[in-house]
Amino acid sequence: MTAEDFNLPKQTHDIFAIMARGHFISSNGTKDGMGRLYDIINNPENFDRLQAYFNVIRYNIERGNNYFYFSKTSEANSIIEKKLETFERYIDVVDLFASMDNKITIGSRFRPSEIAEECNANVRLKQKLQKIPMYRSETLLNKVRDICDLMSRDSFLELEDEQSESYKVLDAYTYLLDVINAIAIYDDSGDGQGSGIIYN
Amino acid sequence: MENCRILNRIVEINIANVKYADIELCGNTCFVGTNNYGKTSLQRAILFFYSANSRGLGIAQSQKSFEEHYFRYENSFLIYEIATEDKPFCVLVYRHNKLVYRFLDAPYNPDFFLNANDEALKIKEVIANVEKRGIYISNQIDTFERYRNIIYGTETDKQLSKFHLLKGNEKYQNIPKSITNVFLSSKNSIDSRFIKDFIANSLTTENSSIKLEQVERQLRQFNEKYMDIETFLKKESQQLVELIDKKYDQVHMLKGSQMELADKLGSSLRFAETQNESIREAAKQKEEELEKLIESHEEHKTSIEEKQKDIREEIGYYDRTIREANKKLKEYKEKNIEQAVEKNSEREKLQVELNIARREYESLTSNVSSIELKYSSLIEQLRNDKAAYINKINTKTSEVFNHYNELQLLQKNEYNKKDGELREKRDASLEEVTSEITAKQIEFNELKSEEKVIRNTRFYENEIKALETELAELRAVNYKNKSERAIKQNLVQTLQREWEQTEAKLKASLSNQVNTINNEIIKLKNEIKEVEGKLEVQHDAFYGYLEKNVKDWHTTIGKVVNEKLLFRTDLTPEYKEEAVKSLYGIQLNLESVDVVSKSIEEYQFEKNERLAQIRDLEDSLNQFQINNNEEKVLAADKYGKQLGELKEEVKVLAYSLELAEKREQKLIEELEEWKQRAGVEIETSLSGNRQKLNLIEEELSILNKKKNNLLNDFNVQIERLRVYNEERIAELKERQETEISELEVEKKNQVKEFEEKEEQLSKEKESNFKSKGVDSKQLKQVEGRIKEIQEELKEIEQYAQIVSDYLKDKRETFDKLPDYIQKKEEFVKTANDLTTQLEEATRKFNIKRMELNKKKRAFDEELIEFNNGINFYSNNFRETPVYGKYAEIIERAEPKRTNYNIMDLCTQLLKNDSHFNEEYGAFQRYVNEYAGKFRIDNHFNFMIRNDATQAEYERFAQNLRSFLNENKIELSIAETATQIGLVTDSIASKVKELSGQQDKISHIISLIAEDFKKAEFEESKLIEFIKIKIEESDNKVYKLLKKIEEFREEHGLIYNEGLFNTDFATGQKREISTRAVRLLEQLRSAIKEQDQEEIRLQDLFELKFNIKEGMNETGWTHKIDSIGSTGTDILVKAIIYITLLHVFIKESSHRSSKDFKVHCIIDEVGQISAHYLRELLKFAKNRNIMMINGLPNKSGLESHYRYTYQFRKEDNGNVRIFPSIVTEVEA
Repeated sequence: MTAEDFNLPKQTHDIFAIMARGHFISSNGTKDGMGRLYDIINNPENFDRLQAYFNVIRYNIERGNNYFYFSKTSEANSIIEKKLETFERYIDVVDLFASMDNKITIGSRFRPSEIAEECNANVRLKQKLQKIPMYRSETLLNKVRDICDLMSRDSFLELEDEQSESYKVLDAYTYLLDVINAIAIYDDSGDGQGSGIIYN
Repeated sequence: MENCRILNRIVEINIANVKYADIELCGNTCFVGTNNYGKTSLQRAILFFYSANSRGLGIAQSQKSFEEHYFRYENSFLIYEIATEDKPFCVLVYRHNKLVYRFLDAPYNPDFFLNANDEALKIKEVIANVEKRGIYISNQIDTFERYRNIIYGTETDKQLSKFHLLKGNEKYQNIPKSITNVFLSSKNSIDSRFIKDFIANSLTTENSSIKLEQVERQLRQFNEKYMDIETFLKKESQQLVELIDKKYDQVHMLKGSQMELADKLGSSLRFAETQNESIREAAKQKEEELEKLIESHEEHKTSIEEKQKDIREEIGYYDRTIREANKKLKEYKEKNIEQAVEKNSEREKLQVELNIARREYESLTSNVSSIELKYSSLIEQLRNDKAAYINKINTKTSEVFNHYNELQLLQKNEYNKKDGELREKRDASLEEVTSEITAKQIEFNELKSEEKVIRNTRFYENEIKALETELAELRAVNYKNKSERAIKQNLVQTLQREWEQTEAKLKASLSNQVNTINNEIIKLKNEIKEVEGKLEVQHDAFYGYLEKNVKDWHTTIGKVVNEKLLFRTDLTPEYKEEAVKSLYGIQLNLESVDVVSKSIEEYQFEKNERLAQIRDLEDSLNQFQINNNEEKVLAADKYGKQLGELKEEVKVLAYSLELAEKREQKLIEELEEWKQRAGVEIETSLSGNRQKLNLIEEELSILNKKKNNLLNDFNVQIERLRVYNEERIAELKERQETEISELEVEKKNQVKEFEEKEEQLSKEKESNFKSKGVDSKQLKQVEGRIKEIQEELKEIEQYAQIVSDYLKDKRETFDKLPDYIQKKEEFVKTANDLTTQLEEATRKFNIKRMELNKKKRAFDEELIEFNNGINFYSNNFRETPVYGKYAEIIERAEPKRTNYNIMDLCTQLLKNDSHFNEEYGAFQRYVNEYAGKFRIDNHFNFMIRNDATQAEYERFAQNLRSFLNENKIELSIAETATQIGLVTDSIASKVKELSGQQDKISHIISLIAEDFKKAEFEESKLIEFIKIKIEESDNKVYKLLKKIEEFREEHGLIYNEGLFNTDFATGQKREISTRAVRLLEQLRSAIKEQDQEEIRLQDLFELKFNIKEGMNETGWTHKIDSIGSTGTDILVKAIIYITLLHVFIKESSHRSSKDFKVHCIIDEVGQISAHYLRELLKFAKNRNIMMINGLPNKSGLESHYRYTYQFRKEDNGNVRIFPSIVTEVEA
């Protein structure tokens, strides 16, 4: 049985290969024809077919602002918790990116060295960067590189030019912003536990 | 010596490690030597004779080049001697910077090159040496190409044309290539790829391949552009463009307004700084003016008041005089002054009457004078007593009267004094209150006049006027801008229409041209088909028969035969010798008849010509399309620029109108605000005024009340005093009257006694008179009359004083009363006039004072405002980043008064900046998102760095806007459409060019197959057969290339029109274009996947072998790893090489050129058996090919060669090559 049998686009396999790893397909991605894959999923006819196809294996295509990803139906709480733990690191990263002089937003192109330089020159940013738990990063630049690398692996960034080490922020970055925006900080001072966060 | 042309000898002088070697080659030659002794070097030197390409000799890049390694000295020479049918000639190769050739028309002679000491000469000496001997030596041949042309017999220079090895045709290049290929192929296994390469390399030049890198680059360029355009056209991108455009306007507007504010702030600051002192001065001046004004007013007021006082005194005087006169008059009237005056006027008359009566009485009493005298004296005595008594009583009465009068007077005085005191007190109190009231009244009046002034004052007149003027100017500019915008919009529409028309015209002309050229191409293709049809059938047709069997048939039958007839295959022609020069028995003189038949070459030529025509047409179409595009570009440039500029201007106008509208709105609001403020100011002033008025009114009423109370109190006191006084006086009067009446009663009684006594005496007298005869009756009458007159006179005398007083008063006062009234009135009028004058002066003063105060206050307020503003600016603005942003504008602003205060401007700038930052953030986000959608090096140059400045972001938006305005996307689409056309066209033409060789390949393969068949292996029975066949290529890239070519053939160039075309009318074109794009995409990914540098001729087909050796048959396969033993493999390989060489030489040499031999250089043949070697040499010999082989050592094999040379390395490293003495067994 092949994808064609279901009248699915022939890129279905590529789509699955990306999204099943928990990655995003962004419209402004260029590597591995990501933009094209986005267009394919975005085509309403394809979308319905793909959705139906993936639903069978309990995957659901979620549509974000110019990006797609898989969500899994009925996921174990432990997995969700683990995901949330992983996500916590991104809060600091997004906070750092948003605090830069030139805010890093969707479509921004930057080099890790630029961020490292700015962090070096700005104590506040430096502290923010240092706060981000990235092991084995000895220098600021390496830390930023590690962050960029991590974000590239998670398909929030794209290494556009290896030579100049230029990264581009993909549309999936909106997902991070959306999740962070959905976090409500509640004051739990009544029981003496201090404040905490909840995810909406 | 062979009786044919052959490379007879090679001589090396100072070549590589060889000092001198003379090697004969006119037969199979074998070089025996250990590895690294120079066998291969020598073979390369031989190969160089054939190939004349120093780079294609199989020298590794790491090694020294051929030139460097071989020609180390200036007297290094390679000499080739070529045997010909008659006399051999030589080719001399030496280095003159590069390798050059000279031809020597003589056999090799060492004396030409060596001196007596066997030392090599220099080239100049060699030339001189040769020329000295009268031998022809050619000029220096500088290029390998020229050398090859000479050696392969295609040189046109007659002097050189004789120096050829063979006469090659146009494909002669295949010969050196084939020889080189054989030499360079050292693989043991027989791979079809090698054969393919061999064939292909022999047929093609270096350039006749499809460089995939180039194609990939073209595809990438196209694909990138296509993707860029696709990204640009995406809905989300368009939405972002709109957002960017909108945000840019907002940001621009905000920035503009911020800059305007900054300018105003700068102006205000400069103004404040420069005006501070002058405002202070002005305020001081106003204060002085105010002081002066007050002073002059006070003076004026005082002078008027003094006058008023004088007048009031006058009025008082007259008033008092009049009042007193009236009072007196009233008193006089009460005393019946008029009667008194009338009676007084009768006084004289009564006095006369009295005198007459007295004289009459005297005359009557003259007879009884003694009695008379007695009685008269008695009566007189009595009367005197009586008078004395009366006087006494009267004195007493008057004493009483006077006493009481005195008491009364005292009382009156007391009263008057007290009354006076009271009145004085009252007047003082009243005056105090009145003055207070007057002051309040004045204040009240002032306030009233102030109110009037306020009502008449236009507050913020300057500001309102300035705003109104600005508004009027703005409206005028707006009106002008609106009409300008309308004009420009019309112009835009007109230009747009013109552009569209031009575009339509260009499109139509392109479409016409495409149709015309396609029709022509179709026509030409049909003609080609026809020619091809003829060429295809010519072998079996009448034409083929004539070609094979009738010599020069073109000059005979060719002149009369119908062309169609020539290509019919059903004519079964038969050659009849007897009818050879007649046409069905009739002989014709055909000398003057033109030949109508065409040779195959002519048909080929025709076909090629048509193909060339098609190419020309396609080129012309391409050119047309390019021109069309250029025209489009020009039109776009012309109209786009104009439109862009106009649109920009319209946008600027719209923007300025929008700004103006906002400004107007703002101004209206400001005006309203000012008006409101003016109203409020009036109201505030009025309300303040009113409050004061009310207060003063209240105070006035209180004061009036107080005054009235005071007046009442005093009046009551005065009244009481008056009543008491009156009571006291009445009492005194009563007592006076009582006492006087008592005295009067006493007096009356006494007077009555006296009168009774007098009566008695009178009666005695009368009786005496009577007794004496005197008429007593008449006497009594006279006496009575005297008495009466005396009484009247007495009464008159009683009023004499009062009348006298009255008359005096009348004379002095009463008669002047009208004058007094007149004068008083005059004074009252003057007083009134003065009051009015004072009031007017006060009013004027108040207005002026108020104005001055207002101005002064305004200056003060302005000063305070300036200082506050400057302080606020220094403390709260100067240190903020907003200042940094607009510092230049602020610092450079001209001092100017503005309608805004510094504090407001600072606050507004700070407030706006945060709004601006928000908007700018959004703008940046949109730009980043938009630019991020495109590749980093997109051809629109939509790129923004992360650390881009605001100016760069704005420039991005501006460029994007002009991109849209100038409709550059259309240009880009047109360019990309042209590009897809050019790319497919280029691919198609390359594929066509390359695949055009496929026929040749098929031909060569058939020849090789044929040659294999002819191979005489029967003797050894070693190899039963070698078969070869051609199959279609399975190269994915080539297949796609072919598909593209077919696609191009099918659809011509028109499909590029549909690229990105959203017009459904041309939907089909779009579909075709999509297919084209998809094909190119597939090709691109296939190129990437396959990772192949180029598509060469060998990639166009697949070769398969089938070899049977003994009992082993390989079956049809690409690659035969091992057929049998290594020797067998080498043999098969060599056979194949020789076959190939043979085929190529045959194909590439002129038919007439047959007497020549070439060498086949195969290095290592050591493992081949003697038997096989013999077979091989024989196989080669039959094909006019001499073998040059290398052997590592002597093994007996060398005995099969005509020449055997041995290599030996000497102590000094030089290699010596010397012939080995062997006997040729078979050659």
